[in-house]
Amino acid sequence: MKILIADDSRVMRQIVTRTLRQAGYEGHDLVEASDGQEAYDMTIAEKPDLVLSDWNMPYLTGVEVLRQLRANGVKVPFGFVTSEGTPEMRQAAEAAGALFLVTKPFTAETFRDALDPILG
Amino acid sequence: MTANPTEDDLRVIAEQVWSSYLDTDGSSPLLPVPPENGQIDVTASVSVTGAWRGHVLVSCSDAASRNAAAALLGIELDEVTDDDVADALGELANIIGGNVKSLLPEPCALSLPHVHVEGSSGRYPAATEVATLNGTWLDESVTVSVLESTADFAGVSTS
Repeated sequence: MKILIADDSRVMRQIVTRTLRQAGYEGHDLVEASDGQEAYDMTIAEKPDLVLSDWNMPYLTGVEVLRQLRANGVKVPFGFVTSEGTPEMRQAAEAAGALFLVTKPFTAETFRDALDPILG
Repeated sequence: MTANPTEDDLRVIAEQVWSSYLDTDGSSPLLPVPPENGQIDVTASVSVTGAWRGHVLVSCSDAASRNAAAALLGIELDEVTDDDVADALGELANIIGGNVKSLLPEPCALSLPHVHVEGSSGRYPAATEVATLNGTWLDESVTVSVLESTADFAGVSTS
């Protein structure tokens, strides 16, 4: 399975990668995007099976990426990994078609709860 | 008037960040006491705009910033570059700022992080400190603070 990790922080992309491994999701093909526009473009070009995206990124926010993907008929499973988890943001994420919203800081267990229905 | 975040709030948030990323084995916690020598070399900040306006800052010594970058990236201390330090401190400010924002009235927006190095902690003249956590990590200084804007910047957008 191919997973796109979108976050403008290289540190956080590294932490997400490490946490995927710690959660037991090994052997997947991981690709990375460093801003919202790149996340959109790479989702179109790379056709990942899952997108794990930050919310607050340059050029396009994560939820803008998701809305544009859905507006163009791209149905890729999409989840947020973000430092903000207000009820309003969760509602916006769900309305846009996100499967889950994991808040930072997260643990391997948090990842398993969110990802087992998709990767388990 | 809305209730501002407190030092206790910052301690709870910092403990979660440390246990998740910086002290995963429990051997190097952030102690909620100021260090003997409170050297501050690097500051990362995020700004909050909207129903509440202000800044969330994470400041620390150069040594603490390099230890943080090494721990977050999973690399050795002598492999850490200045870019790693900026990215790591910026992400810490983003995570802590995002959690602080969840305590603030809605709607608010969080900016992307800014990192100040070389001894400058940045200046926030039109803001007042409302909560501060002075901590010690690996015998080095780490401070988390929340500043509330005191002036009305009508028309200024930082989103």
